[in-house]
Amino acid sequence: MGKRVAIIASHGGVETAYKVMNIAMAATATDAQVGIFFTFDGLDIIRNNASELLSFASGKEHYAEGFKKANVPPVEQMIQMAVESGVRLIACQMTMDVMGLTKQDFLDEVEVAGAMTFLDFAYDADITLTF
Amino acid sequence: MKAYVLEQVDKRVDCRGLSCPMPIVKTKRAIDEIQPGQVLEVSATDPGSVADVKSWAQRTGHQFLGTIEEAGLFKHYIRRADLSDVKEMKKHPHTVSHKHLLQKLSEKPLILDVREPMEYSFGHIPGAKSIALGKIRDWIAELKEPSHAEIYVVCQTGNRSDMACQILHEHGFSRVFNVIEGMQNWQGPIEKNVAL
Repeated sequence: MGKRVAIIASHGGVETAYKVMNIAMAATATDAQVGIFFTFDGLDIIRNNASELLSFASGKEHYAEGFKKANVPPVEQMIQMAVESGVRLIACQMTMDVMGLTKQDFLDEVEVAGAMTFLDFAYDADITLTF
Repeated sequence: MKAYVLEQVDKRVDCRGLSCPMPIVKTKRAIDEIQPGQVLEVSATDPGSVADVKSWAQRTGHQFLGTIEEAGLFKHYIRRADLSDVKEMKKHPHTVSHKHLLQKLSEKPLILDVREPMEYSFGHIPGAKSIALGKIRDWIAELKEPSHAEIYVVCQTGNRSDMACQILHEHGFSRVFNVIEGMQNWQGPIEKNVAL
């Protein structure tokens, strides 16, 4: 029986996106089931215009060069790989309503659901992480 | 002793220049494309891959053979395990523990290591003879008549050595023992012979 990893992404920015996607990708490599619940600013990561929305925190712009040097794939590519590996991307309905967002603002692979859907997945998780 | 030149690699994956988690992600994809028993070579420059590939293999149940480093290039070798291979069958009744074999080592007993040469070269019991399971009948034929000396047979997990023991027994070898705990749990002395 494989492991299950439940992740909550509640912050935006390139840094958070990488923290979340790195752990998610490594987990899928061990055949773990991975579900990520995106809420508040974390929703930026799975928007269909994520590349425009995601930036480095102010004062941390120099990370960009380091990421390039270390050959880290762009966030969009990481998300694409995650989707191919079966990672569930769950957008929080409540925060979407607060922000005036609809399903059309997100990548096609995103499922929209509430806290209960995530909890249902997380109750059986071996690890739960919050970013 | 001959150093195996690692020619018996079935698939190679190039992760040079890639950072975490890409070497692991690519390793996982590559291992899914080979058959159980085949060997994957992962080339990487990320020093973090040394610990990561090893722990990935342990976690997923595949057999981590070892890493060779040369001028900042790491080559990791992994043998794909057959994770569904749990069939029950008749077992050779005579087994020995590692503890018992360790006590016997000073007497220089005949130890047959029936794993593949690549596995053997990444670490075996000093003095053990490398006869892959598939070659055991040839070895028996060469001997011309069965030996009644004690023979200790070892592999990675105790399964292939069990089959080898049964084959030896069928051919009239009378004192054959399966080193049941296998090399995966061996804490005694180890000899290696690998080179690029």
